[in-house]
Amino acid sequence: MTAVVALRPVRRWIRKAQASHRDRGDALATIYTVVFSIAVLAVMAQDTLRAVFSPLVPHLSGVGALATAACATGLIHLALRRLGPVSVTRPAAYFLLTAPVSRPKLLAPSLLATAFGAAVAGGASAFGVLGNTVAPGSSLLIVTGALFGVLLALLASAAQSRPRLASITDTVARIALAAGLAGLVAEATGWTPPGLGGEAAASVVVTVTGALAVSTMLAFLLGVRDLARTPNDAILESAKTAGTLADSVYGIEPSFLSEMLERRYWATRRLRSARLPRRLPPLTGQDLLLARRRPARLVWTAASTALPLLLISVPRWVLVIALLAGMVIAAKATSATIKTDAGNPVLLRMLGLDSRQVVQQRLWVPAVLGTVWATVALGLLQAAGGLPPGQWWAMGLALGPVGGVVAIRAARAGFVRNDLIPVDTPMGSVPTGPIVYAFAGLDLLILALPAVITLLGDRPATWTAIAVQAGAAALGIRAYISWTTDPSRVGLAR
Amino acid sequence: MSYGSTPVLVDVGLTVPAGAGVCVTGENGIGKSTLLRCVSSLQQADEGAVRVFGAAPGDSPDFWRAVATTVEPPTWYPGLTVREHAELVCRAHGQDPDESGIDEALEKFGLAGHADAIPPSMSSGQKQRLTLALVLLRPSSLLILDEPEQRLDPEGRAMVAGMLAEYLSTGGSLLLASHDDKFAVASGAEMVSMEQLTGPGSPAGPS
Repeated sequence: MTAVVALRPVRRWIRKAQASHRDRGDALATIYTVVFSIAVLAVMAQDTLRAVFSPLVPHLSGVGALATAACATGLIHLALRRLGPVSVTRPAAYFLLTAPVSRPKLLAPSLLATAFGAAVAGGASAFGVLGNTVAPGSSLLIVTGALFGVLLALLASAAQSRPRLASITDTVARIALAAGLAGLVAEATGWTPPGLGGEAAASVVVTVTGALAVSTMLAFLLGVRDLARTPNDAILESAKTAGTLADSVYGIEPSFLSEMLERRYWATRRLRSARLPRRLPPLTGQDLLLARRRPARLVWTAASTALPLLLISVPRWVLVIALLAGMVIAAKATSATIKTDAGNPVLLRMLGLDSRQVVQQRLWVPAVLGTVWATVALGLLQAAGGLPPGQWWAMGLALGPVGGVVAIRAARAGFVRNDLIPVDTPMGSVPTGPIVYAFAGLDLLILALPAVITLLGDRPATWTAIAVQAGAAALGIRAYISWTTDPSRVGLAR
Repeated sequence: MSYGSTPVLVDVGLTVPAGAGVCVTGENGIGKSTLLRCVSSLQQADEGAVRVFGAAPGDSPDFWRAVATTVEPPTWYPGLTVREHAELVCRAHGQDPDESGIDEALEKFGLAGHADAIPPSMSSGQKQRLTLALVLLRPSSLLILDEPEQRLDPEGRAMVAGMLAEYLSTGGSLLLASHDDKFAVASGAEMVSMEQLTGPGSPAGPS
């Protein structure tokens, strides 16, 4: 049997070899840039951060605080699971995973970093919940939240090597998230939650936090030992995730990540060939099939129509942004097909369809999804008394197709163009490619202006306003199709 | 036609009569694929003219309804199975999926057992066979195939050659590049080497 090689000298040698290729000040410059950027952003966004984490008028009841904590728990766990959470860099996955080195020692730094990140997220969540809750709470609960975050990281790490545990914890996390959101929505729409019996005694909080600290410490030691059983495929997959995430960030190219997630999702699905609906145009039928094949996404999309209810009492512009974002996200359910066509038109050449036929056929499903979402969301808002009088459901019908065309235009943007000339600003050089990419599609939200003005002005949704919105959407979509497609051209580029 | 300072195609002349088949042969790197890409309009020649059915090839739907090619590496739609890709291609060309012989084609290409698979999960050979099945399922007037015998076993080669011969017998035109003389002969295409096509005043191939 091959003897286990000490990992520390190997890592030291790698660091020294890497250091010889880098400038001496590189690492310091990176640290300086990151710290400086965070400081600048924190100062710029301090009012917003204060409004989010510690508003002047807290509004959460005890049950609301628990619901928010459940949402945060679910989100943190699902994010950790999506990342791995235990991972190594791609070169390490290639060279060190196959080397006779101690597996726990190889993976321990990653677990430590994950635990630290989860602790920060847990602590920040607890800080936010405390700041938003009407009843005062001990600030020691922030430490409790951080420790709970570490436990979540350790649970996600254990789940990485145990598929059955992974399935259970993922389901529980999704239920926690859904239940938390349902509680918050119910409270926002007028449900009076039962009282939770006042503030917990300081001694109880100290005892619970102390016990949690001891358990976390023990769990961490066990977790490091348990790393030995993390299977290779799980580490390779998380290494790919971390690498693609890094590529997306450094290359400012979000499509790397979205493509990987898309590929991974379909690789794990077992499909059974279905017939494309005969009465629909072929590409519309394909999009419908694709949407039906992602039932979980449809359920989350349906449930998300209630989320704007949480924003009834916040400034109206926040609600408007949430409505537009929700509508566009709902419409993006099938945008992977048009992304495929825009990235490489080889299949369009095989199909022999012109660009106008393609966009017209591919617009139907996103437009219907956007319309249903906007109609239900606006209807729910009105039913909850969050909007002035009027036919808001009809405004949803008029507004929704705009979500579809925004989703189509964003998907047609393809990749970020890094050949565009950067703009020099007093804050430094700003790359224009990612900015153009980020706004591709969003620029068409100008077609939603009539609805936005009505909402921002707190005006009733009169039939005149609805007709203006419907006219803007219809004319805008027609103009978009006729300007950006051509019946004598196959490719979607433009 | 050149890549940087390296000339690839110089003074090349080739005519493929309508309803006939031509197989271009030659060693690797001599420019067979580049020639097919130029004919398919996927690459622009620095000089000279390419005419397909009397018109310059381009990005028009008419051109791509008449021409089917495997010159490009394929991409696949997410969440769509092998059979659904075939059905989509047939539907887009106005064919009745029940009468266009999708299942028979998948059977012939050894893909019947993978009808419910998503193409990215298949091996490169299976993907190659699927691409061939798709171009042969859909209607076309000209097939442009780049080494279609690659990654096929001997039985598969014989079957594809037979299908190409049948395609020619129904009035289709065929332009392919191949390293396999036996395959080219069996497909009914007339063989011509790249050397024969090259040089000033070239005989314009088997016209």
